[in-house]
Amino acid sequence: MNTVKKRFGLEPVIFNTVNYFLLLCVLVVTLYPFLNTIAVSLNEGLDTTRGGIYLWPREFTWKNYESVFNSGHLFQAAWISVARTIAGTVLSVFFTSMLAYVLSRPEYMFKKSVTIIVVLTMYFSAGLIPSYFLIKDLHMLNTFWVYIIPGMISAFNMIVVRTYIHGLPEALVESAKIDGAGEFRTFISIILPLCMPVLATVSLFVAVGQWNSWFDTFIYAPKQSLSTLQYELMKLLNNTMNAGTGNAAQAAGVNQGGRDSAAGMVTPLSIRAAITIVAALPIIMVYPFMQRYFVTGMQLGGVKG
Amino acid sequence: MQDVKAAAAVGTERKTATFRKRLWSQRELILMSFPLVALVILFAYVPIWGWTMAFQQYRPGKSIFDQEWVGFDQFKFLFEDEIFLQVLRNTLAMSVINMVLGFVTAILLALMLNEVKQKFTKRFIQTVSYLPHFLSWIIVTGIVATSLSIEDGIVNDVLMRLGLISEPILWLGTPKYFWGIVGASHVWKEVGWNTIIYLAAITSIDPSLYEAAEMDGANRYRKIYHITLPGIRPIIVILLIMNLGHILEAGFEVQYLLGNGQVIDYSQTIDIFVLKYGLRIGNYSLATAAGMFKTVISIILLFAANNIAKRLGEERLI
Amino acid sequence: MGVNVKKSAMLSMATVLTLGTVLVACSDKKDEETKPGTENATTTDSQQNTETTAETVKPLTISVFYGVQGPIPNENNKIYKKIKDELGVTLKEEFLVGDIEQKLGVMIAGGDYPDIITANPKLVAAGAMQPLEDLIEQHAPRLKEHYAKVWEQMKDPEDGHIYWLPNYGVYQGDYVTTWYSGPAFWIQKAVLKEFGYPKPKTLDEYFDLIEKYKEKYPEIDGQPTIGFTTLAYDWRKWPLINVPAHLSGHPNDGIVVVDHETNVAKAFFATDIDKPYYKKLNEMNAKGLIDKEAFAQNYDQYQAKISSGRVLGMFDQHWNFNNAETALTDAGKIERTYLGIPIVYDESIKDYYLDRPALNLNNGFGITKDAKDPVAILKFFDTLLDEKWMKVLQWGIEGEDYLVDENGKFYLNEQMRANFNNADWKASNVAQSLHEYMPKLQGQYSDGNAAQGAGFQPDEFFAAQKDFDKEVYAAYGAKLPSDLFSPPPENRVSYPAWSIDLIEGSPAKIANTKMEELALKHLPKIIMSKPENFESAWEDYVKAMSKVDVKAYEDRINEQLKWRAETWTSSNGSFE
Repeated sequence: MNTVKKRFGLEPVIFNTVNYFLLLCVLVVTLYPFLNTIAVSLNEGLDTTRGGIYLWPREFTWKNYESVFNSGHLFQAAWISVARTIAGTVLSVFFTSMLAYVLSRPEYMFKKSVTIIVVLTMYFSAGLIPSYFLIKDLHMLNTFWVYIIPGMISAFNMIVVRTYIHGLPEALVESAKIDGAGEFRTFISIILPLCMPVLATVSLFVAVGQWNSWFDTFIYAPKQSLSTLQYELMKLLNNTMNAGTGNAAQAAGVNQGGRDSAAGMVTPLSIRAAITIVAALPIIMVYPFMQRYFVTGMQLGGVKG
Repeated sequence: MQDVKAAAAVGTERKTATFRKRLWSQRELILMSFPLVALVILFAYVPIWGWTMAFQQYRPGKSIFDQEWVGFDQFKFLFEDEIFLQVLRNTLAMSVINMVLGFVTAILLALMLNEVKQKFTKRFIQTVSYLPHFLSWIIVTGIVATSLSIEDGIVNDVLMRLGLISEPILWLGTPKYFWGIVGASHVWKEVGWNTIIYLAAITSIDPSLYEAAEMDGANRYRKIYHITLPGIRPIIVILLIMNLGHILEAGFEVQYLLGNGQVIDYSQTIDIFVLKYGLRIGNYSLATAAGMFKTVISIILLFAANNIAKRLGEERLI
Repeated sequence: MGVNVKKSAMLSMATVLTLGTVLVACSDKKDEETKPGTENATTTDSQQNTETTAETVKPLTISVFYGVQGPIPNENNKIYKKIKDELGVTLKEEFLVGDIEQKLGVMIAGGDYPDIITANPKLVAAGAMQPLEDLIEQHAPRLKEHYAKVWEQMKDPEDGHIYWLPNYGVYQGDYVTTWYSGPAFWIQKAVLKEFGYPKPKTLDEYFDLIEKYKEKYPEIDGQPTIGFTTLAYDWRKWPLINVPAHLSGHPNDGIVVVDHETNVAKAFFATDIDKPYYKKLNEMNAKGLIDKEAFAQNYDQYQAKISSGRVLGMFDQHWNFNNAETALTDAGKIERTYLGIPIVYDESIKDYYLDRPALNLNNGFGITKDAKDPVAILKFFDTLLDEKWMKVLQWGIEGEDYLVDENGKFYLNEQMRANFNNADWKASNVAQSLHEYMPKLQGQYSDGNAAQGAGFQPDEFFAAQKDFDKEVYAAYGAKLPSDLFSPPPENRVSYPAWSIDLIEGSPAKIANTKMEELALKHLPKIIMSKPENFESAWEDYVKAMSKVDVKAYEDRINEQLKWRAETWTSSNGSFE
């Protein structure tokens, strides 16, 4: 024991120093764009045009956030976003991992053909218009389910979960079977609990995808009552950009550069920053929460042993 | 003859019988998977009739039967354009650079984070590193452009101070830097996000393996090399195979937002080409044709990579 | 997906802008709004239309789709409320969010249209629109009178029907300009002041001023002075590629110049028309006057540079850098704002920057085949075209949004001016998008006030000017910035060429894309090459351009110019 310590006495210190230094660099570099966006979102719009905003706003204002929150249907849309994120994540993760479990069974007779069918979906897209017709024929236009069902099985996540299940000891499944558990029981009571780290990961992927999605609202569910937060924010951003060019003449014509009125102007740059923060903050919180499941895999050692 | 036939008949019968038997014994697996497969087929495969558009000069508002059929004209337009090869080269180059950089940096970061023992520090760095994923490309490229500016960009500033260059470099106006800048931007935005999947995989490694290695006097590097890396190898291989299939997807937002006339010979990807000469000028069919081309290449690469993995005895996709 | 989609939407909007319409910038007005759910308008039967047809407008809900992204009105917008209360019309408006091509593709595929929609050639091709000519003749006397002069121009070149109601380009009384929002060579007022307000006419004189000033002041506010910058980013590429037409004394026809006499168009890329300009820029670059980063910068960087006050000049459309200028004024650097000057190649050329707005073809609203009561919709627009309603839409409510002096002239007080600068206020008090796209009065009302609102009333505009600006204009014997330009002659009948529909997916359209791509690729190289290499760089450009089917492009343009000259002249007369 003593010799071991001697041999590696200084080495861990160097390793840790280098490691922490590099991680600090990563930290700084990845934190910067976010802080910069926050700074821009809190800076007066017209002033931002001048550039040079880095970590701190130069002319502080809440104006950008005010105009984000003043735009009509935000709260109802946020509610739809939360609903689709939760429902979409739960259903997608459950069914995707169920399929992953089935395809991880070596004896399953349709293993190969089903895998191919699912995997190939990652590599082609039929195109917007035929997909639109399909959704229309299924009477799913302007329904909440159009957010959930079409993308419910994710080939990528399925493969990720399946790979994880492959890493679990086969003996677990066998012993469950000997105890008389059916496939579904085995999946629910043995596999799912052991898969927590990977389920947390794919849940994060699905949740972020659901939360950030606006395109399906745009094409399939333009009805106001189904509008999502991202869609409303996108609308707001577009609106600001349009107002920026379209009304320039008007603004300048009526009051060229009048100091009082020009200040407090909302520009696309500043509104985009505020929108980004409003849209990202809720979903960013998901990850730290998921991280608790990243250690539960450790318990596996006990099971395995 | 008769016997043979009879034997064959019996054989078939027996086969059918075994097949039925297997079918019955696997009924639960079948029940669990078939409805989901049906769903996949419905939403991904059924609309594939839309690919007929690639052989038409598609005009919205007409039914599929009233469209003008043009055979392979769309493909000809795509492949015969003199810049197609250039566009293909750019797509491949950027996609390979992104893939290699993406894999290496994400795995490295995952390994480095795994060596951090204080739980809070680890989680904090992890969380921060994935923040840029939530910024849109337009914001990220805006920051990239500002940082690379010759006016007061931080990159030129630092390089000047370090004495590495004598005058500011016009990064975004120089073709040879373009692929690298795109690669670096990708790493910046996605490294933390890409790390998540490896960190999850690391948790499945049996801790007793580390304990055993310590007993044997393995140092930290040996543990990383002999335990951690092999532990996440299946997921690395799987992701590699999947990504190889996406080799013609270098995207176009970054290239579009960072590109300009000066670097166009290096910045234009297939997707940008299709956008310019397809959608934007009202030719819907070109995008479908290009999509079909990409799918064919993807599937070939996918099966090839999968076969190689099979031969090497690695985790396989299919 | 998000950004691409948006990008191409911007692009489609941009084609219009790039090709040079200035009109987009001239919007002014009131706001609209979406009221889903409130279908049953309880109408106070409108006796409002005092002098019109006896028929009153019935309660009506019109669904509208805008192929643009805003401005989106607030729910409680007062103009919409007034329209609903007095005319019984509720507008259910929807605005574009993603990409217009995708949205229309899906809309057409699904065959599900709103009652009225903003113009797009795709919709006509898909048979989604109703021909309007007969309905207007029978039911909409004001619209008929309004469009009488341009009636033939409004007809579709393919089938002779009228599908769209152009939103701009029909004038009453004199054509008035105030703020100049169009293209020009811009130069900092400080430069002009420094040298005693000279008026450069040619490129040489213009760059002389810049050179002298930069020599004298190599730094502004501690940062290096930038002589001349330009922009070629995304769809904002006109600062680089549209210039030669103006230098050679042509109006904005897009990327062609059209001979005024023969009505024949010629694409000017890589010809003798554009060569002198880029040669000059090449020389200026050698002298260090051109911004090194000009061709690699994005729009935000361009604006930031301008608003730092150290860019002496550029070619651009005014509205494109208006925010940067406002930022300068706001920072107390008004002498760093710009004056637009109509620079030409040589003294013998008469400048043709300022143009008379032409009819805004393929723009405005059309009525789709799904609209149940097209007559009622036309009558609604017919009513709004009444001066009484136009004043509501363009100036607002008297006493609230504008005041009237003893001579009957409309004007604004400080608070009102501030209001019209406030986007939030406008969302509740102006029907901006509705006014933008509907048939409208431009020029003057019968009482002499400017149609289109305060920004177009010369006195009002002048009153709102800063003292320094008044001083600068006075130095040129001008009252308004537009006075520095030659007054525009009557438009050529076929003007402008940029509004010609090239037909989607046609060789002409492909050639157009290729030409612009080559220009963006070669021009930076040409400008930044050493002067001794200029000729060879130019040769490369010419060679590359010769491989493009420019003729297909020119042929389509010329065919349409000819058609316009024949069709539009003959019938114009019959209506006048």
